[in-house]
Amino acid sequence: MTVERDEVLTADPAERAGAAALLEIRDLRIRFTRGGRRVHAVNGLSYRLDAGQMLAIIGESGSGKSVSARALLGLLPSSAEVSGSARFEGAELIGMPEREIRRRRGRDIAMVFQDPARSLNPTMRIGAQITEAIRAHSGIGRKEAGERAVELLKLVRLPAAERRFHEYPHQLSGGMRQRVVIAIALAGEPRLLIADEATTALDVTTQAQIMQLLVELQERLGMAVVMISHDLGLAASYAQHVVVMYAGRAVEYASAGRLFGHVRMPYTRALLGAVPLLEREPHAPLPVISGQPPDPAAIPKGCAFRPRCASATGRCEQAPPFSEHEPGHWWACWHPAEDPPGGSGGGGGGGEDGATR
Amino acid sequence: MTAVTAGRHRGVGARLFASPSVRLVGNRLLMAIPITLGVSILTFWVLNLIPGNAAQQLLGADATPEQIRAMELQLGLDKPAPLRYLDWLGGAVTGDLGRSLVSGQSVAGQLGERLAVTGELVAMAFVVSLVLAVPVALLAAYRPNRLFDRLSMFVSVTGLSVANYVLALVLVLVFAVRFAVFPAIGFVPLSESVGGNLHSLVLPSAAIGIPMFCLYTRFLRGDLVDQMQGQDYVVTAQAKGVGPWRVLLRHAFRNSSFGLITVVGLNLSTLIGATVIIEQIFALPGLGQLMLQAINTRDMAVVQACVVVFAVVAVLANLLTDLLYAVLDPRIRYGSR
Repeated sequence: MTVERDEVLTADPAERAGAAALLEIRDLRIRFTRGGRRVHAVNGLSYRLDAGQMLAIIGESGSGKSVSARALLGLLPSSAEVSGSARFEGAELIGMPEREIRRRRGRDIAMVFQDPARSLNPTMRIGAQITEAIRAHSGIGRKEAGERAVELLKLVRLPAAERRFHEYPHQLSGGMRQRVVIAIALAGEPRLLIADEATTALDVTTQAQIMQLLVELQERLGMAVVMISHDLGLAASYAQHVVVMYAGRAVEYASAGRLFGHVRMPYTRALLGAVPLLEREPHAPLPVISGQPPDPAAIPKGCAFRPRCASATGRCEQAPPFSEHEPGHWWACWHPAEDPPGGSGGGGGGGEDGATR
Repeated sequence: MTAVTAGRHRGVGARLFASPSVRLVGNRLLMAIPITLGVSILTFWVLNLIPGNAAQQLLGADATPEQIRAMELQLGLDKPAPLRYLDWLGGAVTGDLGRSLVSGQSVAGQLGERLAVTGELVAMAFVVSLVLAVPVALLAAYRPNRLFDRLSMFVSVTGLSVANYVLALVLVLVFAVRFAVFPAIGFVPLSESVGGNLHSLVLPSAAIGIPMFCLYTRFLRGDLVDQMQGQDYVVTAQAKGVGPWRVLLRHAFRNSSFGLITVVGLNLSTLIGATVIIEQIFALPGLGQLMLQAINTRDMAVVQACVVVFAVVAVLANLLTDLLYAVLDPRIRYGSR
């Protein structure tokens, strides 16, 4: 079965003029064949990230955000068909030979995953897992690597780093484990860190601490961060730019401040509306986005959000182009939302409120 | 550091008892008592249900009832079964396994010789199958669904579907009859000639070991592929920039080894059953052969001793499995928080 893909292709954020970007993704498409079904996980994703910046990729589960990030490191199963372009400091990552991309893993781009309980090897000591990462990229000796590992554990503020070095993951709390995973990611001194739902499995207090740590490391090490999340509030508080993904494509892109003040895409607005807020009346039903995200094996033609969208019209059967409608603000919608009267409080009650968490 | 030093100040005995491994060994050894007791009672009871006894077997089909009666008196078979069981149990507990009703030899002495043969057979089959299965499974899992993987899958499925006595006959036919490289029957004791001893055990241990090799390969390959494709820590390791062999060996294999140990441990018990048949086919003077002969002659003391040995071996195999987990898995070694 083939889902016809939309031929609309316009200038995208990756094409913005200016200095060379650290990461430029253009029309990234990823398909899997699973049990005879063609699954379209990513359907033309483009974004750009400058050195030292933090970009948030927001979307529901299954919107293709994690898959698109793993593709950058060549970590997808062999059944994945990847096309399009992803340039890191000018070097094309898509289709790069395995040997070459392996040398870049951890050294150029590192990754932190969602569940720290599962992303560490339960049978290896913390220290061994970090020194392995250090020694994968430099020829330094075991002892020196060990010292560097303890330094990294101190850098991620793991209490009693020297002792933890000799411990196993199960002896640590969730937040401590995530610090260890971040230390592993920092081992190769990467210029880009991808945090794939890195705080989702943690409780709210720990979540804030880990995000603080990421921001601090970003500034201290001059490292760029791609933060993948389904939490718009979190994105607003920490990232400079936000990409909203739906059904494997970008539907809205802007700076965080701009996006939350002037939301355009009805899907983004609905997402903002679904953020639970303390100001809401107690026991009021939580607003939800009705319907289901589309089955990635059968994405509707035209605008993929159409079946769930209140503003949808016949025109939406034609896919809207993803283009820069306002300076620095990109979206793909025929019926963008207006700014609410009275200025910047728009976006379904989200806006700046969402940014204060 | 305080928690660590506090532990050092406690008494040695208290720490020993607190160690999960020591408690595990203690519990298992205690559990072995009711298990062996149950097994021996069950065996005694079942053997009593079979018509005929040692007296009839000794005297043959022509014996008159009077002769049999006299023999029964002489062997103590006239006493009621529970009493005979208690007699045996009393002896066994004090270390006296009695004498064979048929040969008059000491059971303990016979057991020692026989156990050495069976032990050697099992050890050879076991070590060789495991030593071969691990590299084959690793190579297969390195590139799943490629040529080597498919080939090893085909071999292991074939090996698993053939009963080991059929395999034994095929091995004899090919390597003893057609090519005459290995002897079809007989056993050379280790004390006589080391080379001859190993030579005489090649075919029987292959008959036991080949299905085991297939089972271990198939299991380990599957588990490795699951770890490689489904576990986040593998992705973390790959994202570090670590090479594929290192990820497989240092990360996936260590975690897969727990599953393999379980399979090997369970398999050791069924292995004992296999030796009974294989020793029969290759005429090896092992424990299994001894037990089969003793059952035929209703030689109760010998059967009981063999069964108890098998039960103890099974319990020990399970204990060893659990101890290996503790050695390999830090979550068990240090206890979970």
